[in-house]
Amino acid sequence: MTETAFKHMRDLPSTHLLGTGTPACAGCGGLQAIHQIYDVLGKNTVFVNAAGCMTLLSVYPFTPFRGSWLYTAMASAPAGAQGIRDALDILIEQKRIDKNEDLQVVVLTGDGSAYGMGLSATSSAMERKLDFIYLCYDNEGYGNTGQQYSDATPHAAKTSTSTGPGGYPGFKKDLFSIWAAHKPAYVATVIGAESLDLARKIQKARDIEGPCMIISLSPCPTGWDFDPSLTAKVGKLAVRTGIWPLKEYENGNITHTRKPAKRLPVEAYLNLQGRFKHLFEPKRDEKMLADIQTQVDAYWAKVAS
Amino acid sequence: MYRIRFHGRGGQGMKTASRLLGAAFFLEGFAVQDAPRYGAERRGAPIFAYVRAGKSPIFERGIILHPDLVIVADDSLVPVPAAGVMAGLTDRTVLLISTTETADEWRRRLHIHSAILTLPAPREVEDRLELRYVGAECAGAAACLTGHISKKKLERAILGELEGKPQKIIHRNIEMASEGYDRMADHKGLVQEGTLPSAKAYTPPAWIEMPFEAARISSPTIHAGLTSIKVRTGLWRTMRPVIDHRHCRKCWWVCSSSCPDGAISVNEEGAPGIDYDHCKGCLTCVSVCPSHAIKAIPEHQAAAAEEES
Repeated sequence: MTETAFKHMRDLPSTHLLGTGTPACAGCGGLQAIHQIYDVLGKNTVFVNAAGCMTLLSVYPFTPFRGSWLYTAMASAPAGAQGIRDALDILIEQKRIDKNEDLQVVVLTGDGSAYGMGLSATSSAMERKLDFIYLCYDNEGYGNTGQQYSDATPHAAKTSTSTGPGGYPGFKKDLFSIWAAHKPAYVATVIGAESLDLARKIQKARDIEGPCMIISLSPCPTGWDFDPSLTAKVGKLAVRTGIWPLKEYENGNITHTRKPAKRLPVEAYLNLQGRFKHLFEPKRDEKMLADIQTQVDAYWAKVAS
Repeated sequence: MYRIRFHGRGGQGMKTASRLLGAAFFLEGFAVQDAPRYGAERRGAPIFAYVRAGKSPIFERGIILHPDLVIVADDSLVPVPAAGVMAGLTDRTVLLISTTETADEWRRRLHIHSAILTLPAPREVEDRLELRYVGAECAGAAACLTGHISKKKLERAILGELEGKPQKIIHRNIEMASEGYDRMADHKGLVQEGTLPSAKAYTPPAWIEMPFEAARISSPTIHAGLTSIKVRTGLWRTMRPVIDHRHCRKCWWVCSSSCPDGAISVNEEGAPGIDYDHCKGCLTCVSVCPSHAIKAIPEHQAAAAEEES
């Protein structure tokens, strides 16, 4: 168990490694998390990026990263990470690079890849106990192509492919549990709006050897339809309503790092977003709102028991 | 053939404007091309869309270099070189600007002989990204300026293009397009078709010897990190966050961590500072600042104040 370097907010990094000038949308909740994560990981990081919004970060000839970046197809980022890890290990073994020149290999994918197309490759990487960090920025849909639904889309949300009166009929896949069932070294949920909790978890992921799996809920002004200035507010409400539980898995145990003492009603989170507008206008959909609240209540009742 | 270019920001409906005008031309029996061209396909980022319309098949492709009509939905883009508003303007190009200024003021500023017309932008709207129907207004104005499109066909074009959208939105588009159309009534038919390029008249350009620039100047060093800072995403901003340092409590970890773009740095005294070359104007910092020491002011006002000082 490592001691956290982040006891107080003022312990957070005050200088930022990620370059400005990226093509991410104004108010991007994914970028909000990634720039904080990069600061904790440090510049000796190599990113392996599956196709998604964040592949736009590094578009020739521009890059916001300080080091290398590898672009892979949507389903194969963990395989790319394996290749880089192996190459680094061989270079170190053959003494062609010094051990302190080693890099942290970080997979960067959206939810489309993490929850769906890339799950098989991720599963095998965990099984092989690959020493890497997997970072999923989860904006609950295929954001880069116009917010089609993904396996991470929450129940009732409207997407460009769930336009019916009830929104998306499916339910958000529980990727945390799927990942944890593989018994990797570490699994955690984070959010850019809770910087201290995020920094502590990323420090752990950095220091623990083996597969370290992170899901960052990423409020998306473009795909979720809210004003870009509300990114942090939507993020905080996701935690305070209990919709996005901040938790970690380590050594077979799941710990909730933030248990909202008094959870706010889910509608405080939902009614800020255009994708849930149909639950409030022209008429409140009491049944759907109650259903969503019941699911969240049931989750936390289980946590308490 | 008419060559028409719309300039605006992501979110102001430029793509829709080009489609509405294109569809209306089509209904009047023209051959039409309409397409948006995105730089960064992002809210607030400079975007342009174009329409070509002619009575015979159109063989010209690509962006419009010599427009007959240029429409600017957001006047803050006119002085921005990256937006390319002034590209290819000639004396016979008509320039239509949605603005709070007068046409005379723009004539004075731009020193061009093109005809300049204006659509009044509402003064009370601080953030111009809230002008969601300005595109429809511009399309309506353009339709009238060509002199070939009736209001009836314009309305039919809107109904066709926006089919499936809520009635309220369709209605508002028709209303705004009609308003734009009526405002140009005195100038109906002012825009003249440009000539078609003739293959016979083509003469190859004379060769000009260009010495090579040093590689370091002519292209960014791609083996280096952090080259993204060469991209001035500050151009996307319509509202500017300004820190009032008298009220700032120096809890930089709040704004500096929350800024999605990492555009807030911290100096040695612990005071935060905003990098306006890159701040996209999302205003997350304004909403998270515990002491309300960050205020948002309209970018066009901030820029004007800067010019004066």
